[in-house]
Amino acid sequence: MPEHLRIRDRLRIESFKKLGQDVTLGAVEIDPAKCTGCGLCVKACAAGTIELVGKKARMRTVFPICHSCADCVAICAQNAIQMKQFLELKKYFRYLDRGKPEPPRRF
Amino acid sequence: MAEETKASVEKETKIKPPDSGAEFNEVEDLIYRRRSARFYKKQQVPEYLVRRLLETARFAPSSGNAQPWKFIVVQDRKMIEEMTRDVVAFCKLACRFIDYLDGWNPLKEWTAKLMQRLMNNLLHPIPFAALKLIAEEKLGLWHGAPTVIIMLTDKRCPGDPAVDVGIAGENLVLAAHSYGLGTCWVSFCTPLKMMPKWRKRLGIRYPYKLVTSIALGYPRGVPDGYVTRETSAIDWFAEDGTFKVVY
Repeated sequence: MPEHLRIRDRLRIESFKKLGQDVTLGAVEIDPAKCTGCGLCVKACAAGTIELVGKKARMRTVFPICHSCADCVAICAQNAIQMKQFLELKKYFRYLDRGKPEPPRRF
Repeated sequence: MAEETKASVEKETKIKPPDSGAEFNEVEDLIYRRRSARFYKKQQVPEYLVRRLLETARFAPSSGNAQPWKFIVVQDRKMIEEMTRDVVAFCKLACRFIDYLDGWNPLKEWTAKLMQRLMNNLLHPIPFAALKLIAEEKLGLWHGAPTVIIMLTDKRCPGDPAVDVGIAGENLVLAAHSYGLGTCWVSFCTPLKMMPKWRKRLGIRYPYKLVTSIALGYPRGVPDGYVTRETSAIDWFAEDGTFKVVY
């Protein structure tokens, strides 16, 4: 049966000031050895989360929120990017009924 | 006429669903590979291609076959820039009231959260963050796409007009992907409907409502590929009366 929100969750809104507690940001792992610094992932990011530092892509760890769309993973020609963590909102905006991450499956 | 129908039925029956575990067919592959493009070449999309794409949208299913959509194609770069500028200005204004991350102001956070409760779709944490990014010009609106397709609905149609527009748009987007064009759904254009200038220029007035827009162009790099994402629970009432949850 569908998961629902408890009253306690419904009363509280996530604050970006409490990262980790209210919100777990999505995260990708960028292999610096494979990265050529082409900057495509920086442009592909819907949240401005990736930046180029010294010709290597790097993830900002603070505010701009990675919502784990994996567009950077798809665009990287070097396969240097892997999804590490998926966005989690923990109060009112909590995603419900989510399972484990999977690529497209053939049933 | 009758013979034609019979022939098409025979043709249809030749197509069989795949066996369990079979390779993805072309359409499935197309769907799984499509990713949003956020970096475009300057090259304009020719008119015939855009027309061809809009034709796919025209044949989308809609409730009661009411076809409650209206498309506005904008290929005028100056106009796209102007719209972007105005949306950025709007986001900046909104941020002055609700962006609680700059500076120490508890009242701002309180206001922001109240607004988030009242407009939970518009100010969900993700668009909330995007609002700040657009205001700071760290995130483009249409990402420099040469063509923008603005989508309006007719409010008087049967059912939920936004659903019908969504279906039509997805037809267009998948067809565009099959041509190697890049697309990105951009609903951050909705502040335009609040500006009298754009309401007049785009002809947004009753019964039309601006819903969303699609950026279209030739992508730089290859944005497409399979990705991993979270599965979601599917409740299943089986034929034998049992219940299960699958992922």
